Amino acid sequence: MSVAAGHSQGAIPGARFMDPSVLARIGNLELVSRAVVDGFINGMHKAPYFGASVDFAEHRGYVPGDDIRRVDWKLWARTDRYYVKEYEAESNSNFSVLLDVSKSMNYGTTGVTKLDYARILTACLTNLVHHQRDRVGLVTFDDDVVNFVPSSAKHMEVVLHTLEKVNPGRPSNLKVPFQKMAEHFGRRGVLVIISDFYDEPDAVLEAISPLRFRGNDLIVFHVLDKSELEFGFSDASAFEDIESGEQMPVVPDAFRKEYQSLVKAHLDALQQRFSANRIDYSVLDTSKPLDHALYRYLSARARMMKIR
Amino acid sequence: MAFLAPLFFVGLAALAIPVLIHLTQREKKMVQQFPSLMFVRRIPYQTVRRRKIRDLALLCVRLAALLLIIGAFARPFLWRPNAATAIGPGAREVVVLLDQSYSMAYGDRWDRAKAAARDAINRLGASDRASVVLFSSGADIALRSTAEKDRLIASFDTATPSPAATRFGPALKVAGSILAESPLPRKEAILISDFQRNGWRGEEGARLPMGSTLTPVAITGPADKPNATVTTVSLSRSTFSDQERVTVTASVANRTIAPVNGDSLTLEIAGRPIQTEPLTIAPGGSATIAFQPFTVPSRNMRVDVRAGNDALPFDNVFNFVVAPSAPVRILLVDTGARTGANLYLTRALAIGDMPKFDVQNRQPNAVTDDDLRRSSVVLLNDVDVNAGLARRLARFVQDGGGLFLAAGPRASWPQDTDLLPASLSQPIDKSRGESARVGALEYGHPVFEVFRAPRSGDFSTARFYAYRSVQAAPNAQVLARFDAGTPALVERKMGSGHVMLWASTLDLSWSDLPLKPVFLPFLHRSMVHLANYTEPMPWLTIGQVFDPDATSAKAQATGRLALTPSGKRLPLEDEGSSAQVLELSEQGFYEIRGQKANSDVTVVASNVDPGESDLTALDPAEVVAAATGTTGQNAQQAAADVPLTPEAQERSQRLWWYLLATGILLLGVDTLFSNWLSKT
Repeated sequence: MSVAAGHSQGAIPGARFMDPSVLARIGNLELVSRAVVDGFINGMHKAPYFGASVDFAEHRGYVPGDDIRRVDWKLWARTDRYYVKEYEAESNSNFSVLLDVSKSMNYGTTGVTKLDYARILTACLTNLVHHQRDRVGLVTFDDDVVNFVPSSAKHMEVVLHTLEKVNPGRPSNLKVPFQKMAEHFGRRGVLVIISDFYDEPDAVLEAISPLRFRGNDLIVFHVLDKSELEFGFSDASAFEDIESGEQMPVVPDAFRKEYQSLVKAHLDALQQRFSANRIDYSVLDTSKPLDHALYRYLSARARMMKIR
Repeated sequence: MAFLAPLFFVGLAALAIPVLIHLTQREKKMVQQFPSLMFVRRIPYQTVRRRKIRDLALLCVRLAALLLIIGAFARPFLWRPNAATAIGPGAREVVVLLDQSYSMAYGDRWDRAKAAARDAINRLGASDRASVVLFSSGADIALRSTAEKDRLIASFDTATPSPAATRFGPALKVAGSILAESPLPRKEAILISDFQRNGWRGEEGARLPMGSTLTPVAITGPADKPNATVTTVSLSRSTFSDQERVTVTASVANRTIAPVNGDSLTLEIAGRPIQTEPLTIAPGGSATIAFQPFTVPSRNMRVDVRAGNDALPFDNVFNFVVAPSAPVRILLVDTGARTGANLYLTRALAIGDMPKFDVQNRQPNAVTDDDLRRSSVVLLNDVDVNAGLARRLARFVQDGGGLFLAAGPRASWPQDTDLLPASLSQPIDKSRGESARVGALEYGHPVFEVFRAPRSGDFSTARFYAYRSVQAAPNAQVLARFDAGTPALVERKMGSGHVMLWASTLDLSWSDLPLKPVFLPFLHRSMVHLANYTEPMPWLTIGQVFDPDATSAKAQATGRLALTPSGKRLPLEDEGSSAQVLELSEQGFYEIRGQKANSDVTVVASNVDPGESDLTALDPAEVVAAATGTTGQNAQQAAADVPLTPEAQERSQRLWWYLLATGILLLGVDTLFSNWLSKT
């Protein structure tokens, strides 16, 4: 296994990450996710575990029946009163990844397809969350729900197994599967949506809204291949839509600028709409390492983690 | 402009191929999969760009190349309705073969034949050339390869049928040679004839050059006009009051479908009618008429048998020459000392009709030069020849005479005269014990040829009690041998004559051969052979060759002339060279005579071929097939006087070749051009 040399742009200083194309060739998602997460955490130089319930909340007066071990004896010495320390009652959250497995995700020009990239990202995130004792789940969808793994602290292996079996087949349609998923995510949790979002921004937001309305925290990763972003083709070809099979003669040189502007407008529109709805949105280039995605997740997680 | 294979223009649909390539080739040369065409579809530019034809010049080159190649396969040609007469590749070399045999004189056939020939010549184009060949048993080029129609027509317009028979072979060979020498591209022979079956045996081997056509023009029709043909005569000789008489019997045939009624047959001698007999013959029948005998006072009597006028006059007369029979004169030299020594000889030679033998008996010392001059053969019957007689006999043989020597016990020959075919030795006595027999004969020799067949005579039955042992000379031929191997009959050619030596006697003293049936024919054949006798032919047929040297006219060996029936004088010798033979080409009597007024005259009768009067026709296609290797129908179709077929015109112009070459050249230009475009 080779390791990507140097720092990628936007990577966390001091961290060393693996090339996505190399990770895609490993195949074992558990191994991949562990290597990525461990490397990521070590690079952070932070404590290995997060979320321990040690945050102080308030003092209250002792009442009979309270455990005398929770009496703050230092405060009794100063005040000669019995006070009991109250801490934030931390609970494990639900974490689910909603993974787009439509045919358009099965595309890649840099040695790794968008779906492979998304699977690795899902595995890493799941592994990371599992370390935090959160419950992990997975939903794959295209124009409908394909696989549904409910959130559970014991479903780490199931999630990885499901990811191994993912097989892209049908075109994507966000609205139908998200409506179905909203019914299942009644308990608040963190939902990570990974897709290439080939739809109009308004339609995307409309499809995602039911999830948002149920109080879930949404993190959206927009996975795109480098060629989708830059349109770096040179030969005139008949471009074929992977999902519909439609062909269209294209002269890339003549198309490139206009295409890039259209894509940029699309991404800006999504960014603007997701921000307006307090949804964390990131565009991931499959030619770049996963650190950016993981960092974005942890940043978002940190913002969302607040004491209840 | 026309096309031989216009269906190939369906291939014009292929012109759409380069257009489509130019419209789509650059866009569709590979398929690029892409997740979604959502953004691509929004770009309006591509719809305009993908329908725009790039490289218009390249497209034009490709279209032109395809158009030219398709045009080449369609086989274009410039339509020329009068191509047959146009200058250029269609010019013809025509040989008009006009049958001039005497059967063409039947009815109006000759006029029809000339009209057909005129028609053929009038249809010649401006660049065509033609030859006229008149043929019968031979072929004569009346006019060779010219475009002047008037001269061509004049070359046969005044011609008349000849008395010769039809032979297609020589005519076709002459036509073949003319066509082979012609530089014109189209070669055609037009055969105008009544196509008699007798004129074609199918093995003539005449073949026109490759690509030539033979157009038969059959001048035929029903033989519905009566025609009597004197096919032959037979002469029967008899002697009455010491005068030789000849009885003429004529055979007359009618080969038409019309009966011969009221006609007559006349025997003429020297042009004067002697006897006339009525003649009636049914269709397809024949008749035999015998005339009264007449005496033959002299040689060279000109006799003919003549029928009346009918549709074909050539075969109405039959000429022949009647002459007194000429005997073989034999000078029998014998001592006369022995009684009966010549008995069997003289008796055997007295028997004979064709020819007769005139025997004169002389003793050796009584032989005169006049005797030798009058004789054809000298027969020495067991005599002792002195040196003087031997030398005279040698000269006699050198001049063409024949010498027969019967070598008995008294026969001798002087050593200093080399004439005999064998040297004489001592007699061999076979009277005791088993007698000798003749065991081996040379059956190929004229003397023994008549004994070749089985039961045609057996020499082995004759017994020889004695014979002379002889030693054959190196240049002599042993014709018969005794059973002991010694020669029995030896022959030697000396000068113009022959000498034969018989190693035994011709009486009963040494053998019983004179008592055997083979004796008489053996003696007759020997005398005829030594005399170099040939039976004179009363007539010959036109086309045959007469050799003056083979007749009595040889006496005037130099300066001889032939007077033809039409009165022409033909010299029979080249200047200072050997004699010529005379080919008979006219009907009637030829005279062969010396230049001197009192020279001897030989008359030769010449008759038409009676087979020519048989008008049965053959299928012209048979001749055409043999001469051109194609069927007659094809040949006729090819030679029909119609404009050139489209195939022929296209073949002669070969426009397709230029179109194809240009098309291929344009494809090469296209390759270079497209490569250059791809680099820029």
